[in-house]
Amino acid sequence: MSQDQSASFVLRFTQKLYQDDRGEDSVQWRGKITHVQGNDQANFSEMKDAIVFMQDKLSELTLSSVQDKSEEERQGILDKSLDIWKRMAKNYPKMVVEALKDPKAQVSQIQEQISSKASEIGSKIDIDNLRPPSKSDIHEVLDEIKTLKSMVEHVSTRLDNLEA
Amino acid sequence: MHIDDLKALESQSPLKVYTLGRFEVHLGENLAEDKWGRDKAKQLFQFLISNMDRTALHKEQIIDRIWEEDGTDQDFKVALHGINKTIEPERKARQESKYIQRQGTSYQLHKDRIWCDHRAMEQAVSIAHEHLADRPALSREALQYALSLYGGVFLPARIYEDWSSAMREKMQLLALGAYVSLAELLLSENPKESVIIASKALDIDEAWEEAYRVLIQAYLATGNRPQAIRSYQKCVEVLDEEFGIDPLPETKRVFEQVMEK
Repeated sequence: MSQDQSASFVLRFTQKLYQDDRGEDSVQWRGKITHVQGNDQANFSEMKDAIVFMQDKLSELTLSSVQDKSEEERQGILDKSLDIWKRMAKNYPKMVVEALKDPKAQVSQIQEQISSKASEIGSKIDIDNLRPPSKSDIHEVLDEIKTLKSMVEHVSTRLDNLEA
Repeated sequence: MHIDDLKALESQSPLKVYTLGRFEVHLGENLAEDKWGRDKAKQLFQFLISNMDRTALHKEQIIDRIWEEDGTDQDFKVALHGINKTIEPERKARQESKYIQRQGTSYQLHKDRIWCDHRAMEQAVSIAHEHLADRPALSREALQYALSLYGGVFLPARIYEDWSSAMREKMQLLALGAYVSLAELLLSENPKESVIIASKALDIDEAWEEAYRVLIQAYLATGNRPQAIRSYQKCVEVLDEEFGIDPLPETKRVFEQVMEK
């Protein structure tokens, strides 16, 4: 029987554009991560710290759901859970960096995809009464794509392991 | 829209919803908590309130966010009936709802018939930003109104619910920005008030560097140099502890001004 439990995180990035002491333009990112279900928060300036925070919360989640199992079973499940997370975390910073690198291009690409889909289904629905996608809609689509990407990568790794 | 028109909407609207720091629904008078019956009816209403500015949401999307994988059409129907019973008790069966708009199997609230504090706050901040340079007095009034609406985090009783976190984050950032802008506007005219306003931003986020910058300037303007120095020291400590970084050069320059006095 499968057991579903979720952990959600809200990530805030604040960009600081400034001139350093030598008068050169500089940029700094400050981050804040919130674990929704526990309402715990942490600030970070490097992505790896956010990943450690997420890893801690996910380990807690795994441990809390296997409390009634034997020590051996608990260790086995925790090892598997950490292993999955490690593989995901390895690719995650790359995804975030890519998202930060050129958000405009990505948004415009998504908008094109949405417009193209809307044209495809335009004949079936009353398109004139629909609003164009809002920023939050686009962010939601981006999040879904990121989740999908990590799932595909995970499945692909598992397939590779099976084949090996 | 003028700020007075925005304020008037609050008093004129038949249905008012307060979500910042509390959850209250006013239908002429404050609707008692027990009127909601089932919690899911209240939760569905809150979910629709938090998505007021989006296009109508499909029933399946709503079920997925609120009930996750356990929800059924029947659960949705019961919760929707609960909302109608609570906010439109006089409504006859099969009569169209005054507040919930249905388009096929998609649902949303009637924006023009419901006043909600988070939307009013956003509109007030938008007026403030529009007039920051050309009409600072109007900008100040708009920010004061916006912050009078910010009674705390969005739906505090739902902080552990996934669906409410995006709006909570958005409103908190809006409040932080509004506190800093207002504290800056009050700096020369009323530095004591500026100290209070900047401190409120730090109550929300003690690592918000812009708030320290205004706070230091405000203390200096009130003649309290020791407190200005202590505020800078606190800023240095917090930034080091939370991010492992120094204050920005702009903040250091403000501190240099303090030391020159």
